[in-house]
Amino acid sequence: MKLQADFVKTIEGNKGIIYKIARSYCKDPDDKQDLIQEILFQLWKSFDKFDSSYKFSTWMYRIALNVSISFYRKERLRQQINQPLPESVLYLKEDNTTKDLNNNLDQLHQFIQELKELDRAIIILYLEGSNQQDIGEILGLTVTNVSTKVSRIKERLKQKYSSLNK
Amino acid sequence: MQDTELINLWKSYDKKLEENLLFNKKNAEQITELKVQSLLASMRPTKIFTIIIGLVWVGFVDLLIINLFLVANPFFLISAIIQVLLTKLAIGIYLYQLILIHQVDISEPIVETQEKLARLKSSTLWVTRFLFLQLPVWTTFYINESMLENGNIFLFALQLVVTLTLIFIAVWLFINIKYENREKKWFQFLFSGSEWTPIIKSLEFINDLKVFRNETH
Repeated sequence: MKLQADFVKTIEGNKGIIYKIARSYCKDPDDKQDLIQEILFQLWKSFDKFDSSYKFSTWMYRIALNVSISFYRKERLRQQINQPLPESVLYLKEDNTTKDLNNNLDQLHQFIQELKELDRAIIILYLEGSNQQDIGEILGLTVTNVSTKVSRIKERLKQKYSSLNK
Repeated sequence: MQDTELINLWKSYDKKLEENLLFNKKNAEQITELKVQSLLASMRPTKIFTIIIGLVWVGFVDLLIINLFLVANPFFLISAIIQVLLTKLAIGIYLYQLILIHQVDISEPIVETQEKLARLKSSTLWVTRFLFLQLPVWTTFYINESMLENGNIFLFALQLVVTLTLIFIAVWLFINIKYENREKKWFQFLFSGSEWTPIIKSLEFINDLKVFRNETH
């Protein structure tokens, strides 16, 4: 029971990042909810095996991104989920965010979703504020490699924005 | 848009989620009570079952070959040897897939894990290639001396055409079922079902991964 309570508390503390990763890999609301459930399920399955000598965030990002990337490759997502719950674990209530901000965020999400799966993981981690060493550890790349890729992806995003403003 | 603007936009997303993202604790607890296997582990029983059936078949055909080696006609022996060899290779692929399933740990680095998962999926295509490759032997194993002595030219010609056509198709498919041909009509016809989509996407991913790894600037 303590493990379950710890898990729920941990998820509550990290709900934002789980939601953001799922949103970046699934646009469809039903698929997104299924992906969130699958990420949470996989996090729970591995929770007792977490090695505390590693950073918790590294472990969580790896699982959430690994599940999202392989989930994204599947077809007929809903049928593939283990056991869909009738209600969501994470959901957005009606918000009072300005229309401008929502439009800008939708635009950014669209650009992120146009990237290849691994590039998408890199830019999410970058925007989340992870440093290049952490990104390298999460993906299994060298710092130099991460640095090259971050610059290239940022350049691509800038080009997309500039073509939008033309 | 500049870097700082992008980061600030993402931060405003954080703020939005902080204010509006609701967490259903009861449903989160329900997830910890689900008595199901992970998607990957759920693949294991089917693979093991297929390997067992394959081994029984291979054992049976091997016994036939050994026991009938001196008395059976050469058409049967050669056909059976080719079929059993190809089945053994297919069993080898299933064993390789079981090893990959055992090795995959989703808390390991993403590039390595995704490569294993993509190889796991795409190796199914090798089984298909071996299945096609054994097609011709199903048109030769029954040929015997009596058929050769009593047959007529029409039957010989028919047998030859069918067998040669299947050899050509089998070899051609074995060579050509590969990622580079994914856009070809025949490829899309053969692999049009939705069950093939993850396999084709895995091939694409392996290809993307090569580019991703080699990218230096």
